[in-house]
Formats: sequence, structure tokens, C-alpha cells
Amino acid sequence: MKTIEFILNGELVRVDDPLNTRLLDILRNRFKLVGTKEGCGEGECGACSVLIDHKVVNSCMVPLANVCGKTVMTIEGYRKTTRYNLLEEAFMNQGAVQCGFCTPGMIMATESLLHSNPHPSVEEIKIGLSGNLCRCTGYQMIIKAVLEASEKGAGLW
Amino acid sequence: MKNISTSIPKIDGPEKIRGSSLYVDDIKIDNVLFAKTLRSSIAKGRIDSIVVPPLPRGVHFITAKDIPGKNRVKIIFDDMPVFAEHEVRYIGEPIGLLIGADKMEILNVMKQIKITYIETTPRFDFDESAIHYHYQKGCVKEAFDQAKKTITKTYETGYQEQAYIEPQGMIGMFEDNKVVLIGSIQCPYYAKNAVIETLACESESVRIIQSSVGGAFGGKEEFPSLLACQLAVAVQKIKQPIKLIYEREEDMEVTTKRHPSKTTLSASVDGDNRITAIRCHVGIDGGAYVGLSGVVLSRAMIASSGAYTIDNLEVDGDVYITNTVPTGAFRGFGAPQMKFAVEMFIHHVAKELNVDPFSFRMRHLAKQGDRTSTNGTFRDPIIMPAMIDLALKRSDYHEKAKKFASEDSFRGIGMSWFFHGCGFTGSGESKHINALVTLKKNRLNHVFVYVAAVDMGQGAKTVLTKIVAGVLDLPIESVTFDNPDTDFVPDSGPTVASRTTMIVGGLLARAAKKLKESWEEGCDQTVHERYVQPPEIEWDEETFQGDAYPAYSWGVNVVEVRVCKKTYHVDVEHAWSVYDVGKAIDERLVLGQADGGFIQGLAYGTIEVMECEKGKIRQKNMTDYIIPTTSDIPNMETHLIDNPYPLGPYGAKGVGELTLIGAAPAVALAIEMAIKREVTKIPVTPERIMEMIGYEDD
Amino acid sequence: MVKHCIPSNYKEALVKLNEEPYQLVAGGTDLMVQHRLWGGVPVDLMNHVLFLANLSELKSIQKQGKCLRIGAMMSLQDILNHPDTSSLLKKAIGEMASPGIRHIATLAGNIGNASPAGDGLVPLLLYDAFVVLESIDGTREVRIQDYIIGPRQTIRKQNELIREIVVPLKDFTNETFVKVGGRKADAISKVSFAGAARIEEGILKDIRFAFGAVYKTVVRSKEVEESLIGRTISELQTAIPTIKKKMDALIHPIDDQRSNKKYRRLVALNLLETFLKDLSL
Repeated sequence: MKTIEFILNGELVRVDDPLNTRLLDILRNRFKLVGTKEGCGEGECGACSVLIDHKVVNSCMVPLANVCGKTVMTIEGYRKTTRYNLLEEAFMNQGAVQCGFCTPGMIMATESLLHSNPHPSVEEIKIGLSGNLCRCTGYQMIIKAVLEASEKGAGLW
Repeated sequence: MKNISTSIPKIDGPEKIRGSSLYVDDIKIDNVLFAKTLRSSIAKGRIDSIVVPPLPRGVHFITAKDIPGKNRVKIIFDDMPVFAEHEVRYIGEPIGLLIGADKMEILNVMKQIKITYIETTPRFDFDESAIHYHYQKGCVKEAFDQAKKTITKTYETGYQEQAYIEPQGMIGMFEDNKVVLIGSIQCPYYAKNAVIETLACESESVRIIQSSVGGAFGGKEEFPSLLACQLAVAVQKIKQPIKLIYEREEDMEVTTKRHPSKTTLSASVDGDNRITAIRCHVGIDGGAYVGLSGVVLSRAMIASSGAYTIDNLEVDGDVYITNTVPTGAFRGFGAPQMKFAVEMFIHHVAKELNVDPFSFRMRHLAKQGDRTSTNGTFRDPIIMPAMIDLALKRSDYHEKAKKFASEDSFRGIGMSWFFHGCGFTGSGESKHINALVTLKKNRLNHVFVYVAAVDMGQGAKTVLTKIVAGVLDLPIESVTFDNPDTDFVPDSGPTVASRTTMIVGGLLARAAKKLKESWEEGCDQTVHERYVQPPEIEWDEETFQGDAYPAYSWGVNVVEVRVCKKTYHVDVEHAWSVYDVGKAIDERLVLGQADGGFIQGLAYGTIEVMECEKGKIRQKNMTDYIIPTTSDIPNMETHLIDNPYPLGPYGAKGVGELTLIGAAPAVALAIEMAIKREVTKIPVTPERIMEMIGYEDD
Repeated sequence: MVKHCIPSNYKEALVKLNEEPYQLVAGGTDLMVQHRLWGGVPVDLMNHVLFLANLSELKSIQKQGKCLRIGAMMSLQDILNHPDTSSLLKKAIGEMASPGIRHIATLAGNIGNASPAGDGLVPLLLYDAFVVLESIDGTREVRIQDYIIGPRQTIRKQNELIREIVVPLKDFTNETFVKVGGRKADAISKVSFAGAARIEEGILKDIRFAFGAVYKTVVRSKEVEESLIGRTISELQTAIPTIKKKMDALIHPIDDQRSNKKYRRLVALNLLETFLKDLSL
């Protein structure tokens, strides 16, 4: 059994699980990081979104083998940052969270978007979050939250 | 709190954004066992034999044979078994639970279980009626006899899957001699009462705890009672913790969905172009078991005159039983189906009479004091004219309607008018629920709210806390509302029927007032408040006569579309909504419900396709059952107008379901204008538009 | 005993692949879902598995002459972001799946999965793109239209893998890509269409069009295209009904849970007609 090493929320970790284990299961079961959710298991809903090398990916589709040597960040790691605080404030201000199940995924997808595009247009925000399904909010308030964060967060991204 | 509508930070917002809110699958329990459901692979037949291989140590197979009490899930009509025993009635019907510590092992054992059936012919058409209701108002026969013209049309609506992002799930444990169930549920007491009957045990032997709910929309109203009964039986036998979490495909294939419907409406019109009477028949597909379909049918039937006053009505309805997945509660609960039919119908009648639809509808619009469909009364002010006016202004409806109707641009604009009866239909609130709420204050003057209401994202926690804090004139931080646990909270009723703010909030306001008046600094105090039916609201369940609801919330939706001439894809460009919910307890939360409900209703009318072929669901995952993404939404503008309801807390009425109801007819009417063809079925998919337009075969 | 192997370099991958058959996994976005058993249980990939995603030797993209050479393990998003990627390819890739999938999915995986609805395949076939296959025995180049022979079926030899995708870029004066899905993002195509042309002084010098999701593989007819080369634009407009009729005979859409054959056929031909008509603008 090969040991897979990767950076998880800033720390070097080593995992011996089978290489075909889903990253989602490694995070939730091996590391008890349950902020990342399983909504569909088929890469459609985005509730399992995490960052790998600062890009949003659906962790339900990633085999453990593929994170070897990579940097992985989940909501638990991200929420320690100043950028997170700004996103939390914006999401609260705009009413962007209802049941909350899609929200950690939305936050990670937002970080991925703003990291590569600090001042996205509405259209670009829609594309950036197009892989995160929400059934409660109708998305408009989420999009407004991202706009608010990118406006207030000049220089952070 | 000067104006209750002023928004405050959502109480459970931060924990949800940070990912620390615990949903049922997040709860980690040592040595938990996993459960997988063994299901019928046929639509109808008898179970001839179930051959189970010798079970490895630690693996259990729980079936109907293990049920100490009734093999029936207590819903409203108790016909659904907990586990199918001798016969099966739909593909996917649960036969047993396979339970063990190792998931791979469970899968391997499951592969080896052999079930043989004696198949019989399944029924998929609307021919077996399990429930038939009928009511009338005025004298329909006379009206039709004297009609100058009679117009009849039929409307159909399809399935809708709730598609909450968190799949169904529950954990069962045996602790302190009790069966303890933790789950993603809307109605803790529904689950508790169902388990008590299935286990034939005392009330103290069952405890239900609500974990954070990742969306529900009615899909977690009665369905979790089935899970609860199954798990309770297993937990009581095995006495170890068990986790039962549905996979998405499983959830989509076998859990309850919105009832497909077929509604035929006939109008008699007099010489003055006035509708004098309507005859209506609505049939809904209940699937294999009735469950609460009778109540869905009731609500649909009561909605049969829409936002209009029709003096003479004859309404018949049937719940048809078919060998398909049982249908159940979904936001709107029969109203979306009927309001679609009625809104389209009144437009189609106007077109047949060659009169302007807008004025035609205005003529028939209900007013305060009018008799409702069931001979009740619209007691409270109806501010629809002002709402319609605002919607017209903001959307520029008349100008656009004129323009689009006269050109070939494939653009259209549609407007729907609708209401939603708040609270349980009929006498449910007093006869069946009899809600009780409790407030407790401790010596530090901190107040605790004890109700069974579930925050599933709609903001109940924030709203109810706000009401209590508001009446007691305390800061929000001094009031606590924990997720309901039946060991601690009284039965304030289920979180359904748009009753939570108005009824439960209303009771809490009264309880808070009592507490305020009897307040003792530094003392422990407890106040209870029980529901009392307003004396003027009377309902006869047998004849469907009287006031079906104590209050009505109203809405107007306008939708503007552009249909692509090449692909028939419907681009929804703008939407305007105006709602009267009495008084918004928190404006931001109500606007959030407005956006979310509207998009759900819009998708119900356009892209959400679920087909059942010979009993098998064709679209059973998130790839094939399409719900909107960020890229699919129109620009939405929503206005709320105050119209306080005297018996609601701070004047509030129901909110949760209203905002879903109007979108489908509004978009259907817009598409009709765009393609210049009559729409009678939803969802109006590009494929359907193609059929309606007709095309030339080369 | 099923082997799961992460080769430490490209050479090792070729050596291993020669020893026994392996299921090749790139980004995993198709396979990890197709072979899913139950949440919490490792995905059952059924054979020995070779994980290729981290091979840096396969992660390059460069323009060489008129060709775009895309390393097999380049993610869709990286291809999308690259300045040398043609606008037609960008249009198609940009509409595939979602950001969360584009960051890890690869074109090689898309080709290997050989789905009839694969959007990336449509422009690739339009360009007459080819894959460079390599084994320890050497390399060979195969046109993608010959490489994919049916749904999930390719002619890859057991010891081969895709090293590169080579796209002979062309200067088109007109190009279009249209994806028709059930919603605007994150959708499986009901029909997709790519069209490209080069018009010089009113004469058609090059014209190509291809359909996705209307047959087992992408549909393109060089015969029909070649018959149009050299014609004037107005001659082309007159020929539209004939062209549609010919392509109509070559597409065989099906009824399934997403759409039906009538709709797919009508829309496919509508898109073709629009493309041809727009050439006169």
C-alpha cells in the first residue's frame, strides 16, 4: 500500500488508504472534516467542493492517488483566513445562506473564482459558481454576496 | 425592535457558512453500523420467497417479521407498510434493511440475496381511484343550462422532485432504554407517533432529535416517518447505533415527489362575458399508497377557483393509485397544480370569448367579503389591485404584451395571480394538531423557546426567536431556540402548510405576552400556550364547506421570456414579484424565500422533467433530473406590501409555499405569447414547444 | 490482487503498461462516478489501475508550427486559459461540465471515455485532430475519428496510452460552436454542433461541420464538405436544403431520458442551417 503525502489545510499529512478512495471520503472519514458534504456523489451538485492547488474541484470525483504532492484546502482550513471573514460577512448581509448545505461548497468555489479573478462580472460569477447547486436561495443573493465581497475586498484577492 | 420587518443576522447563518453545522451524516458515532435497503425490483406482485445466505457475524437482516407493532407507517391514511411483507406495489418498495459494520460486506451479502416474485399486471393509468371528494357552491346546473357559451379544457402537470441538496438520512440508537432517532426531518412528532405505533410502545420509549436539515420542501415531511419506523425496529432489535443515509439515486427513485395531475375545467359564460359557473375535475397520481394524498387533493380542489370569485362551483377530485413511487408533500401541496390549471384556463376562456384577458381577470378577481370556493369568506382586506398595479408598472407589462403579441420575435410576457391558504386545510389545526408551545425563563432571565418547529433553511429559528424577543422587549441574545428534541419540546405541530410563522409564531407571541405580564425577575418561569381555533373559522370536513383557511397570502408574478427559434430553449430574462404575506417578520428572510420559491416554481414549469416508464423513474440522478444552476436564473425583482392579519404575530401570514405557486403559470403564459400556441401542460420543455409549433419533416 | 499504481515518471508508466493490462485514470471525473459503489467505499475500478494525472511530462501545451500540441494530462481549464488555444476549442471546452470538473478533467480522459455526447470531441474532429499514442514499442498517430469506434470504445492497444492530442489549427473566417443542453451550465448535451469555414473573396475555400450527441460517435462528412469547396456563397445558400438532407441521412439520434430523436434531429439541422446562412453575412 502506497503512502500518499499531501498538504491538508496547511499541514503535511500521510494517508495509507487505497488509492481509489474518493478524496471526499478521506476528508470526512479519515480526517473527520465534515464541512465538505456529499450531495450527489456524481460531481453535479458541488457540495463536496474543496480547493486543490487553489482551484475548486469536486472531491467526490478525485481519487486519493491524484492528490499526491498537492495542496488541499477545505472549509475548515479556509475559515481561518481574513478572506473568509469577508465572505461570511457578505453572505450574511445578502441573505445568501438558507439551509446551508451547499454553502461551504459555494464559499470554496467563490475563493477559487476570486483568486483567479478578483473583480468578476455578474456573468463571470455565474460561470464560477455554475457547478454549485442550491435549491433554497435561487442564487441571486449568493451572486450579490460575491459582488459585495469582491468590492469590499480590494487587495485581498 | 422598532419595525419587526427590519432584518437581523440569521441566527444559524455563521455556523452554516463556516461548515460547522452538523447534518445527520456529519454526526460521527463510534462503532456505528450502516444500513442499506433491500428493495422490490418489480412494480406489482407477491413475494414468493426471499433466500438469504447465511449472514456473517455482525450482519443483520431486518424485515416485517421483526416489527412488534403495526406494519404501517402512521401518516394520515395509514396504508404504507414499513416493510413490504407479502406483496409489493412499486419498484423500489422497501422489503428489508441489511445492516453491518462493513459497507463492502453489506454489498456482497446483498448481491447474494435472491427474491422471487409472482408478478401481476401493474396499473399505470388513472383508473383506480382510492379517494373521491366532491363539493359544490351555489347552483352549477342552472348556470350551465343558461350559459351563452361553455368552454372546456384539460391541463396536465408532471412530477417534481424536491432535490434538496442533503439526501434523506437518519441515525438510530438505543439509549437509556429508549429508541433515539436523529434525522433530517420537518416533523419530529410525525416521526415519533409513527414509531410508537410500529413498536407498540409507550411515548417515553421514543425520542426524536432534529439534526440540521439541508433542505426539505415537503420531501422530509412524511417520508422520514418511514425511515424512522424501519430504523426503530432495527435499533430495538440490534441495540447498536445504526446510520441510514440514502444515496442520491436511491433518494430520487424511491422517495416522495409532487403528485402529477390532470385537471379538466369547464366554464359557463353568460351574455355579459362573465363566468357564471365552473365545473372542475382534478385527478392526482398518488403512486402506490395514499398516505397524505387526500389532503393534497383537498387543497387542490379548494384552489379550483384560483384568485377569482366564481359564484357557482362543482368540484370533483380523485386520488388515483398506480404502481409507481408514492407521491407526497412538496411545497404548495396541490395548489401549484391547480393554480397552473386555473390561471391558464381563465386566459384561454378570455381568448375564446375574444376579450382582453387582463380585464377579464380583473372582473373576476376576488375581493374582501366575497365567498370563497367553499362558501367561506375572504374576511381580510385583499390588496391585489395595488399589487397588480405595482407589478404592471415595474414590468411594463401592457406595453410589452402588446408589442410581443403582435410580432414574430418569439418573446413573451406572462402574469399570474394567486393566493395560498395559510395553515392546515380545514379543521386540521384544531382537530388533528392542537398545537402547544412552551416558553421557559431561567433565573438569569434567559428565555428558551420550546417548539417542534424545524428550521430547514427558511429561517424559522430566526423568525420565532425574533417574535419572542420582540414581544418580551429583550435583545435577541437573551432568547435561545435549539433544534427540537421530543424529550424537551411539546408538539407544536409539523413544519408544513405555511403555518410556522403564523400559527406557531402566533402562539409564541401570545405566550410571550403572558410571560411579560407575569414576569418575575430572577425566577424560573414556564408558560404554555395552546392553539384555539378562531371562533368564526368553521369548517365541515364532510361537505367541504366553510372557511378552509383562517388567512390567505397573495401574490403576483410577471415573467418575461425569449424563446430561441432554433433550439426552442426558453430564456427567462426577467421576473417581477409582489407578495402580501401580512407582515414580514424579517424582510431578508422573506425575500430569500421569494427568490428560492420562485426559481423552484419556474423550473417546475420549464426544465424539471421526471418521467415514470412502466414504474421506473427515468431521471434518477442530478445529471438527468435538471434543476437550475446560477446560469439559468432571470433577474428577479421582488416587492413586499404590508397587509397585517389581525391574528398573526405582528400581522404575519404564511410565506413558505406562496412564492412557488405563481411562477409556472406566469412562465407558461409568457411562452404562449411567444410561440403563439396554447400551453396546457407543464413542464414546457423545448421538446414540447417543438411539438406545439409543429415542424416540417423533410 | 488488484494493483493500484502511481508511476513516478512517464517511462515507468510505459513499462508498467507493458507488463499487464491497466485501467488508465486521468482526472477521474468519469471513472470515479461510473464505478461508484456506495459513499465511503473505494470506487471499484475493477482492473489494475494506473493513475496518470500527476505525470508532469504529459502536462505541456505548445504551438508547434500550425499545430497545437496538448499534453494528455492538461486539465480542461488549463487548456481553456492558454493563449494558443483556438477560440473554437475554447468555446466548446468552456461549456463542458463546471469549473470544479474542468480543473481536473482532461481531453485525453474525454477521448478515452468516448461518450457520444462528449463536447470536446466535436471541435477536435472538426480540426482533424489526432492522438499520439505511445508504448514501449514506439509511437503512432491516429486521427481521433479513427481512434474512437463507439461509445466507450477506442482502438487503444493494451500497452498504449495517449501522450498528446495534436490539433492542426486552421485560419477560419467563420466559426461556431453550439451546445444544446437541458440548462445553460453543467449539462449533458442533447445536441452539439461545431461549424467552421474559410471564405476568400466570396469563395468557399474550406468548410467543415460536425454534430455531437446524434450518433454513437461524432458525425462529420468530408464528402459533403468537399462537394462545397470552391462554390460561391450564394451557391452555398441555394444548396442548403440538399446539404441538410444529406446530413439528415447521416445522423441517428435516439430517444432517452434527456430528449427525443425528433427534437435532436430538428435542432441539429436547424443549427447547421443557421451556420450556413450566417456565412452570407
